Amino acid sequence: MQKTGGQLVMLVAINCVLLVLGAVISGGSFLSLFNLQSMASQLPEIGLLAIGVMLAMCAGNGGIDLSGIALANLSGVLSAVIVSSFLSSGESDLAFSLAFIGGALAIGLSGGVINGLLISKLNITPILCTLGTQMAFMGLAVVVSGGKAVMVGSPALLSSIGNDMFLEVPISFLVFVVVAGLVAAALKFTPYGLWLMLMGTNPKAAVYAGFPRNGVLVATYAISGTLSGLAGVIIAARNVNVKFDYGSSYLLIAILIAVMAGVKPEGGYGRVICVVLSAVALQLMSSLLNFGGLSNFVRDFAWGLLLLTFLAVGRYDLTGFLFPGNRQAVSLAPRPHAPKQDN
Amino acid sequence: MKSLSKKMLAGTAVAAAMLAGSAGALVAQEKPVIATVVKISGIPWFDRMNTGVDAFAEANPDVDASQSGPATADSAQQLQIIQDLVAKGVNALAVVPMDPAVLEGTFKRAMERGIVVVTHEADNQTNTHADVEAFDNSDYGAALNERLAECMGKEGKWTTFVGSLGSRTHMQWVGAGEENAKKYLGMELVDPNNESFDDANGTYEKAKEILRKHPDIKGFQTSAGNDVLGVGRAIDEAGLTGKVCLVGTGLPNPSADLLESGAITAIGFWDPQKAGMAMNAVAKLLLEKKEVTNGMDLGVEGYNKVTVKKGAGEGVLIVGNGMVLADKATYKEHLF
Repeated sequence: MQKTGGQLVMLVAINCVLLVLGAVISGGSFLSLFNLQSMASQLPEIGLLAIGVMLAMCAGNGGIDLSGIALANLSGVLSAVIVSSFLSSGESDLAFSLAFIGGALAIGLSGGVINGLLISKLNITPILCTLGTQMAFMGLAVVVSGGKAVMVGSPALLSSIGNDMFLEVPISFLVFVVVAGLVAAALKFTPYGLWLMLMGTNPKAAVYAGFPRNGVLVATYAISGTLSGLAGVIIAARNVNVKFDYGSSYLLIAILIAVMAGVKPEGGYGRVICVVLSAVALQLMSSLLNFGGLSNFVRDFAWGLLLLTFLAVGRYDLTGFLFPGNRQAVSLAPRPHAPKQDN
Repeated sequence: MKSLSKKMLAGTAVAAAMLAGSAGALVAQEKPVIATVVKISGIPWFDRMNTGVDAFAEANPDVDASQSGPATADSAQQLQIIQDLVAKGVNALAVVPMDPAVLEGTFKRAMERGIVVVTHEADNQTNTHADVEAFDNSDYGAALNERLAECMGKEGKWTTFVGSLGSRTHMQWVGAGEENAKKYLGMELVDPNNESFDDANGTYEKAKEILRKHPDIKGFQTSAGNDVLGVGRAIDEAGLTGKVCLVGTGLPNPSADLLESGAITAIGFWDPQKAGMAMNAVAKLLLEKKEVTNGMDLGVEGYNKVTVKKGAGEGVLIVGNGMVLADKATYKEHLF
């Protein structure tokens, strides 16, 4: 798996370069504690959605989850509407927060299960299925909220998730890191992770080998949905309000992050750590451009450039050139490789 | 391939260095920074606002004023820009919120950090020091109707269009218009509050229906930006130009042809350039710890004698008199 190492090294390098660049441009204020905290608290929403996209891509057979941000908004909106109908955030802070978080996660989970069932049982192509559910989720959010922003308020627990620090680290970022760690562990140490990757590599062989195909698919989209629900909680915690059309640009950014992290769009390979680093890189770059006062159209250009760079890295083994000693002769991965070069 | 990767890496490094250099030049200054953030960059309305912000920056060399905005119409992107600007440590924010509700939390944090927050087109924003509005909505509606009555000879049938019945400002405009028309006994309102959904084609169809139903109709008062285009086309095609009056909200550039032909009597709007200047002027006053008082002159055309009221939250609501009514003779002064 030499290529995976390459992607990781490259991502770490890019992040370091961006941090140094930011420090140089801003005369140090880019690395100030406040800005680091600000960037870290912006990251979780999109990071969680990107992990969801990664899991769906890993499942192979054209797997993708387009419904992420719509489901995140639906979770926030629906949960806020339901919970505030029987609890008011003013009176019982803790109960309201817990009920809201529980509601949002449950809605995210059920949305994900719906996706999984449609894809596994009815054999609908994931891109079409999740496009359909994306519209359905968004439409439902419009209906329950009447198209307006829904006030969640800032009860103590939610407000601390959105705004407070633990050991100078934003709590929302810690939540993101812990969840990313859990998903990574599940992929590495449980049979589910192995099934998912092998199924993505060769779906037909997986069926003949007796893998629980439907179970794995439903679980994958259910996890992705729950991550969306969690993203919905974090959006609500930070913004005080939730609305059906929040973050409409996140859909493509989440896919961009996953592809940049070296997740194979045809399935079978993806690493959570790379997705996290790739999300960090995009965040650093967009904050950097905002710091520099450059147009946001430059940002889109820069992201495109970054993506192309990563595709090039996948094609030409750059790490071999960076670290000549660190290579293995054979690759175990059962997929075609870029031509290798000799050192 | 090795040399190719080397070249690529070198190229990237050079590009990055150049980017850093250009950006570095933009950041290096000590003056108070007023950052204007608009709903979306690159559309005519906010390009026009940018000219106002630039003009303000030029007229006030003691502050550093500039405009930015998301490349896509998404409140999350606007939120991110504002958060980065807060982290960067700007002194004042002048924001045209995409969605006031989404920005409440961030504005609150920004104000806690001592940043001056000024908004525009958001009279329901609670966390802001001052919200600047171009005009009083009922004055605007009445002014549109007065222009219409003048053209109609103060008598005859007339009707109104709104973007949607849920659009608060549109309903205020036509409501004030109806109120104004009551002064003239000869004016008769028929089939009021047609919904246009800001769609020129739909409005065109609906206007044709109304022209058939009321062949003697003499006036239209419209609200959403594209309504004048649809109704104007219907009047033009029916050969009623000059016989039917049309006054409504619209922008000079798109309306130019119909204004020239006379199908549109007059358009009303406010100039985003002046609004941008007014927002920055208020931000500068607040940075200097001065208060905005009733009747004050912000030094911007249309904001020479502002009305100051209590806003939705702790802040104030500053209302100017920035409405512009332009007809065939005058629209060329405001081409955008």
